[in-house]
Amino acid sequence: MSFVGNQPRVSTATPKGREIVRLGRADRSALGRWFWEIDRVLLLLVAVLVAVGLVAVAAASPAAGSRYSGGAVQIAPLHYFYRQLMWMVVALPVMVGVSMLPHQLARRFALVGAGACILLLALTPFLGPEVNGAHRWIGFGFAQLQPSEFLKPFYIVALAWLLSLKEQDRTLPVVPISAVVTAVIALFLMRQPDFGSTVIFAAVWVLMLMLAGISVRFLALLGLGGIAGIVAAYLFYPVATARIDGFLFAQGDTYQTESALRTLTAGGVFGTGPGGGARKFHLPEPHTDYIFSVIGEEFGLIACLAIAMLYIAIVVRVLVKLLEEENPFLLLAGAGLVSQIGLQALINMAVNVQIAPSKGMTLPFISYGGSSMIALSIGVGLLLAFTRRNPFLNRSPYASRGGGGPKPALR
Amino acid sequence: MTALVARPERVRLAGQRHQATVVTHQRLMLIMLLFLGVTAAVVLRIGYLALFSDGAARGGAANALLPARGDIVDRNGQPLARSIDAWTIGVHPAKIIGDREEIAVRLARLMPERSAAEYLEILTSGRTFQFLRRRALPELVAAVNAIGEPGLAFDREPDRLYPQAGLGAHVLGWTDIDGHGAAGMEKVLDAALTDPARRGAPTALAIDSRVQAAMESELAAAMTSLQAIGATGVVLDVRTGELLALASLPAYNPNAAGRFALDTRFNRATMGVYELGSTFKPITVAAAMEAGVIKSLGQRYDAAHAVAVGRFRINDSHPIGRSITIPEMLIHSSNIVTARISDQMGAERMAHAFRQLGFDEPAHVELPEKGRTLWPGDWGRATIMNTGFGHGIAVTPLHLATAYATLVNGGVWRPATLMKLGPDQVPRGRRVYSEETSARMRQMLRLIVTEGTGKKAEAPGYRVGGKTGTAEKPKDGGYARKSLVSTFAAAFPMDDPRYVVIAMLDEPKGNAETFGIATAGWTAAPVVSKVVSRIGPLLGVLPDERRDVDVSDLMPLIWKAKGAR
Repeated sequence: MSFVGNQPRVSTATPKGREIVRLGRADRSALGRWFWEIDRVLLLLVAVLVAVGLVAVAAASPAAGSRYSGGAVQIAPLHYFYRQLMWMVVALPVMVGVSMLPHQLARRFALVGAGACILLLALTPFLGPEVNGAHRWIGFGFAQLQPSEFLKPFYIVALAWLLSLKEQDRTLPVVPISAVVTAVIALFLMRQPDFGSTVIFAAVWVLMLMLAGISVRFLALLGLGGIAGIVAAYLFYPVATARIDGFLFAQGDTYQTESALRTLTAGGVFGTGPGGGARKFHLPEPHTDYIFSVIGEEFGLIACLAIAMLYIAIVVRVLVKLLEEENPFLLLAGAGLVSQIGLQALINMAVNVQIAPSKGMTLPFISYGGSSMIALSIGVGLLLAFTRRNPFLNRSPYASRGGGGPKPALR
Repeated sequence: MTALVARPERVRLAGQRHQATVVTHQRLMLIMLLFLGVTAAVVLRIGYLALFSDGAARGGAANALLPARGDIVDRNGQPLARSIDAWTIGVHPAKIIGDREEIAVRLARLMPERSAAEYLEILTSGRTFQFLRRRALPELVAAVNAIGEPGLAFDREPDRLYPQAGLGAHVLGWTDIDGHGAAGMEKVLDAALTDPARRGAPTALAIDSRVQAAMESELAAAMTSLQAIGATGVVLDVRTGELLALASLPAYNPNAAGRFALDTRFNRATMGVYELGSTFKPITVAAAMEAGVIKSLGQRYDAAHAVAVGRFRINDSHPIGRSITIPEMLIHSSNIVTARISDQMGAERMAHAFRQLGFDEPAHVELPEKGRTLWPGDWGRATIMNTGFGHGIAVTPLHLATAYATLVNGGVWRPATLMKLGPDQVPRGRRVYSEETSARMRQMLRLIVTEGTGKKAEAPGYRVGGKTGTAEKPKDGGYARKSLVSTFAAAFPMDDPRYVVIAMLDEPKGNAETFGIATAGWTAAPVVSKVVSRIGPLLGVLPDERRDVDVSDLMPLIWKAKGAR
């Protein structure tokens, strides 16, 4: 990269004649400062993920196209790919734009967003059309959106803010308040019904409570409650009963998960090559829930491994970086946002490799979907915004201090 | 904190705050470990799938383009069995939204193998899925699709297609519903055809589909005109043991093997064991020459008097009434003389002669459908004499083909094979007869066709030599006079034999063309003649009237009435 020039360092006292390198350290523009402060490794990882996602959607698009074509409706093989490309063009500037927001503004944006999304979520069952037996969408035609997807990042930031208030006032009953909010959201979600999202919200809530320092005893109670919740869902929630039965006893309609596994392994270790997949055409939802299997068939299990590694790299990168963070709000928000992406990815992959019952969850940045793409971009934008920091401000005391001028700690 | 007056709880001490941060950081790492743990589980699972799953085992990238089962081709690369993507029609009874009774009626109209009531039972069963038809024609799929019921499902699955229909059915066999070989070479080659490393390339059989077709059509024509209940034919390369044709009629269509009667699946060439009658006489003669019982072909035997053994009498169908030489015995197919020679051979040498040709064990060929031969349990004098002319011992037509190949190829026995052999794959075989004996047999087999009972097997220019065999079928402890097995075992061209041709008709009836005669010389021999003249040119044997095996030294041994040719 060009910003680490070899030219002799010029003291700040004599700026005359100094060439300002675009995005160099001397670039004091908003973009220049943004680039210098942002977690560039995280940005690179996300960029790779987005690129992988585009290739994967291109692979899955013909399968989805042929699946949803029929009679008068003919969907072009690359229809979903072009749509995804279009969403990408919208989503990436959103991500960069959000990541440029100052912490305060980002937090307010998220809080307002959370309020709006909860309202939309409450209205969805009444306003939204039914798709695959569930009301998840709101709006009409082109402008449809899935409030639950947008709520995820906003909810996490709002929760982080709420939990961090305890720092200022220990008397605030933040945990009960967060529990009520989460329960209300869960209730709205289960009415759609959207079991997968409910799991994500609940899991993120528990993780963030954990980080906020609640007692181990309370955590244990929550764990028991979680198990009880799953048992209750199994006993009283027909969708969950069918899914769990299907997973544990291979009962009922296991066609979906079986054909997913067959697709995943059809290409062997190195895959059939792009466009070579045949099994993907037998897959339900090849471009969303089961895109991981399509990747497995065409690009091989080795590509699946690489993608799993990419997600864990993002999670580890953010969590390790957060060790340097002491602001409780930033810490909670950052950990929450990355956990949401990591959880969603892990659950989706676990379903595809059949170590978890199917729940209808998309693979972040890889699955097709406009709402989820933009919502994830907002999430990562917020994550980047909250992990931005002046590299000179909190330098590690172990970094060597050479000569006279400040030296950037390479990250 | 700008408030000057604050409740004590609202102010956290720096130490407490630090404590909280430490807890948070610890839990941050705990969460990271959780993520790492679940990722490790996913990674391990992918590794497991890579190592042990079916798809991964197929290895390389070209998998999707490989057929599920390799093709079978004939020796010239003509496809005999291929894998195709066939349509299937199925139903998800639980997902039907239309009127079930109406759908059942319409299904019954389109696919009449089930009644409307049976369809209704399936549609109301509440099952997840059931196939209604596998390997459906595209027109039928379109018609069923036109019912417009979303609960009806159509899919493709790999299926086996035999593009030549019934050609070589008994050689090929068929595959079961799961695509595994159930009979024939499909069963024998099952592992090789499904092996990912090998199934990309077709497997070549020894069969020549042109020769097979010629044999099948000639046999079928003869079977029809002679009202035989069955027929079988073999074409064998005498130098390698490769089977260019192996036909058994009536045959089935392997594309729908299940819809044919059980008896059509019976391979007469390798499962059917028959007393093959006089076709054994050359074998007896060759064995006697090897054993030194026949020291000279001019050796004379009394053919005028029947041989009595115990309560049986061995007679000739056309009494000769004098003493005859060995070539004359074969030309006239004398049972009496063969019995005398066999008697001289004795039990041990006769049994040894047959054992050397593998007559005591199932035919040597890859097919799983092989019959056990009927080997005499007690080698008494009557048995010895009977086996000499092919009674009291029952073998398959394929046994006879390999035995004749041994007689004419210089005396080396090789197992028959249905696999195409490369030049270096030809088995060395084992010597049964000397070159000299084999040369004599070539002369005498040719004489049978030019001078004797096999005249109708002659195919001009192809120098056919061979022996007739008409045997009565065993019935109720005796023999049925009218149920014949008529065989002609031949080889051509006799001056340098290349192929053995066997034709056998099971219970032929005489017709006007044969003057009511059903014996081999009138029924099976013409089949051989027609087959040889059809396949000779295909196999590169040039018809040549000027070339022939030199039989001049044997001619003085054959007595002819004055004026006869």
